[in-house]
Amino acid sequence: MLRSKLKEAWICLKAGRVTLPYPLGPAPALPEGFRGKLEVDAEACIGCGACANACPSRLIGLADQGYRRTLDFRLERCTYCARCAEVCPEGAVFLTPEFELATGSREDLHIHVEVYMATCRRCGRCYRPASPLDRLMLTGMRDGEGGVS
Amino acid sequence: MTVAELQAQLKERFGENLTRMEERAPGKLSLTVQPKVLRALAAYLFAETGCRYVVSAGLDRRESSRHFAVVHFFARDPDRIAIDVNVFLDDENPQLDSITPVVPAANWAEREFAELLGITPLGHPDPRKLVLADDWPPAMHPLRRDFPHDLRPEPAEGVAFQAKEPPPGATVVPIGPYFPVLKEPAYFRLFVEGEQVVGCDYRGFYVHRGIEKLGDSVLTYNQIPFLAERICGICGYVHSTCYCEATEEAAGIDVPPRARYIRTIMLELERIHSHLLWLGIAGHIIGFDTILMQAWRIREPVMWLCEQISGSRKNYGMNLVGGVRRDIPPELHAKIEEVLAKVEKEATAIVGVVAGDTPLVMRLKGVGPLSREDAIRLCVVGPTARGSGVDLDARRDHPCAAYGEVPPKVIVKEEGDALARTLVRLEELLESIALVRKALAHLPPGPLMATFEGEIIDGLEGTCFVEAPRGEDFHYVLTGKANRPLRWRVRAPSYPNLQAIPTMIQGQMVADVPIALGSIDPCFSCTERLETVDVRTGAVRVYGQEELLRMTREGRGCR
Amino acid sequence: MSLSLPMAIINVGLALLLSPLLEGIMRKLRARIHSRIGPPVLQPYYDLLKLLGKEDLRAGDPWLILAPILALASTLTASLLIPLGGEAPLAGAGDLLVFLYFVGISAVAVIFMGMLSWSPYGFLGSSREMMIYLTVEPVLFVTLITAAVHARSLKLYDLVLWNHAMGPQISMLIAAIAYFLVLQAQLGRLPFDIAEAETEIMGGPSVEIGGPKLALFRWSVQAKLLVFTALFVEVFFPWPKTFQFIPDLGLTLGKVLLIVLVVAGIDAVNPRLRIDQALVFFFGVTMVSLAGLALALVGS
Repeated sequence: MLRSKLKEAWICLKAGRVTLPYPLGPAPALPEGFRGKLEVDAEACIGCGACANACPSRLIGLADQGYRRTLDFRLERCTYCARCAEVCPEGAVFLTPEFELATGSREDLHIHVEVYMATCRRCGRCYRPASPLDRLMLTGMRDGEGGVS
Repeated sequence: MTVAELQAQLKERFGENLTRMEERAPGKLSLTVQPKVLRALAAYLFAETGCRYVVSAGLDRRESSRHFAVVHFFARDPDRIAIDVNVFLDDENPQLDSITPVVPAANWAEREFAELLGITPLGHPDPRKLVLADDWPPAMHPLRRDFPHDLRPEPAEGVAFQAKEPPPGATVVPIGPYFPVLKEPAYFRLFVEGEQVVGCDYRGFYVHRGIEKLGDSVLTYNQIPFLAERICGICGYVHSTCYCEATEEAAGIDVPPRARYIRTIMLELERIHSHLLWLGIAGHIIGFDTILMQAWRIREPVMWLCEQISGSRKNYGMNLVGGVRRDIPPELHAKIEEVLAKVEKEATAIVGVVAGDTPLVMRLKGVGPLSREDAIRLCVVGPTARGSGVDLDARRDHPCAAYGEVPPKVIVKEEGDALARTLVRLEELLESIALVRKALAHLPPGPLMATFEGEIIDGLEGTCFVEAPRGEDFHYVLTGKANRPLRWRVRAPSYPNLQAIPTMIQGQMVADVPIALGSIDPCFSCTERLETVDVRTGAVRVYGQEELLRMTREGRGCR
Repeated sequence: MSLSLPMAIINVGLALLLSPLLEGIMRKLRARIHSRIGPPVLQPYYDLLKLLGKEDLRAGDPWLILAPILALASTLTASLLIPLGGEAPLAGAGDLLVFLYFVGISAVAVIFMGMLSWSPYGFLGSSREMMIYLTVEPVLFVTLITAAVHARSLKLYDLVLWNHAMGPQISMLIAAIAYFLVLQAQLGRLPFDIAEAETEIMGGPSVEIGGPKLALFRWSVQAKLLVFTALFVEVFFPWPKTFQFIPDLGLTLGKVLLIVLVVAGIDAVNPRLRIDQALVFFFGVTMVSLAGLALALVGS
């Protein structure tokens, strides 16, 4: 028994210290493909809603107001499964390596995306305003039904 | 015995009372019987044919006008046969003969469908509340299809779980619901005389979360694997694989070989980390924190490796119905081999030291004994059964993923105590390392996902058995409409194993109860899956400090 | 009995102020064996300060407050009877027996604590503590009597002087081994921390105490570290001795530190034994100590 105890002690001491002083020290390096906080590239989003359909936590809410589709991401429910990123046809939703997400305010975990969805008044095809400036110029336009875009 | 032979025997014995009998999938026999012969059939299967009872599921099939139904699942492990016994019941007052008098292991499953679906098992020896909260009204059955998943009924009075009273002369020592040894709440009510345990009652299901209800109401086929993964924080991948394979069997989807091998590799990696975790926990229970720290230190590279493969240390999120989402590219193979070599070296050193460590062996030897007869009678699974001399392993007996091509060596010990179970797990750990190497060497090229045209039609059944680190996990899927199942039944390995605890601790000392409990590696979260909570609409009651203090002081325990 | 006030202050002061440091060193060694960083060496001081500042919640019997007070008071009184580098501050003709008496009171205090907590875990812890006390105290008694038989005196300092003068003897070596084998149990360390098994009975006697009561109880456990190990090194290993107070005190404390490190090492590499297994072990040690006593009685 004594021999096995000494062997145990030797195994333990040989291993040395394996704990890191994080968060008082730097975080260890994360592997590529780590699934952390969700981010949305609002420019790329076309408002298809595939992410909302696929999300197992049902955290993505879609709503339409006239020509504007809003997507609300409530990330406090996120399980970092990356299904939204997988099904997004435009690559607008993706997961970043950020994992330090503790916060005192829920709004930090809410992402609100608005997508202008309208068809060309002349030919009827879907389009997206070409540049942010164009989009600015469209805001405030009356849409003919008493609403404002 | 082949399926055909079994069919012939059943037909001969039960003849006209068998309204349907078919082999719905290779090795899976499905029968429908008249309710009046149910108990006799269960007795025949369990006692005479030597089948093992798996679980029962209650079904609410009133939408498709099939009334209520109950399925009892059995398995004949040596012949690789699984048997489902269906009975259809009257929808006004569903009741059927309880099979618990002839199959003791059916105790909990029958209480579950009684509570959750309102199907009464007549003649059940212990029809107490099992799953639902102490203030849940008795007439409301959450798993019925017409019960909304987010309904919160008004609390009811006087329907709490009634714990058994101790025999005369014994006092009560409560282990739980909060207890340092238990990682999750559970209540073992020990009846002790001095330091010796003379009886026990159990109240569990504190972590009942509504998973099966969510699975058949708001989630679709491909969302469920992510929920299934969160049934357990240690063996989550087992549940997601089991669910996916059950659905794939139901829908007739052929998973490509590469995906099956990847599933096998991830399952075995999970087994490695789980057994090392368990070793640490067992050490902690007997006060040996050094083993806890060292076993978890050895386990850590496996967690980093899984993070590299899947993007997360646990909750790999790799399964979908039809295949896997991520590949294990050749660049990772060298890393996997490096981690396996390190773990193998360190684990072998630990195994060598454990055998010679006298105080450690003294704490494990003879603790929580479970004889082979009891293990078979109570239908326990996993290392709990293999430590008692029962040769069963779902990887060999009901292979899923790629276990047919990469079968494991099954480790069986005869002594039936905590030490035997410990040694089984340690040797399985080393065997898993060998399996991962084999699977990696034979990893076939090809696609990761099956192609499937159209929709999954409703009314199809599928089951799957997967060997979790704790034992055999079982899922049953009955497909439904609108891209989601009609019924999803989960039976984790701790379900039958926990029911064996009273037998294991009878006559033991109080000090040995935690380690006896720990030696079955209980996973309460796996065991207790039902009923959902909507966080946003939950009512909140705030207790003041004075009120709380008064309440805690007034609960004086056994004064 | 004579009392030397400055020495008394030193003894009690060391028992109170040095023992948390010893505890801190033990925790650091344990952490090292666990391959982790561990708390700072001064952590026990911070813990005691924090606990003393908390609200004293009432739980169990109203008289529960007496138990940790009694535990600390009796341990500190026992520390007055220990020779630390010189004669003990409170010395007298039969102070060996007085010492054992106060050790007994501190065990009884722990038993009361468990009983008065009204919790089944407390009762279990108290019954275990009783069983351990009844099997460990005889060893303490017999080993010290072995030295007393040689020294022809029941005064602890006389035992020290005799052992220092007459050199190592076989019976004393056996007695030292026996004392050391129960030292782990006296100090409540693995493999014998059975009375306060956290994972088995939720802390046993100390399940219902918190805040200042817990601080006093923990302090008494830490003070015992100094008291029992100091007695061990003074009586059984008094060499070398300069007969000057400061160097002798330093030597004693150095030896105490060494023993504490060994105790911590044994604590880190052992699981907790079950009470019946521990009792069998103690019974064996009692036989060993009786053998030592027998040898002492025949003169060697």
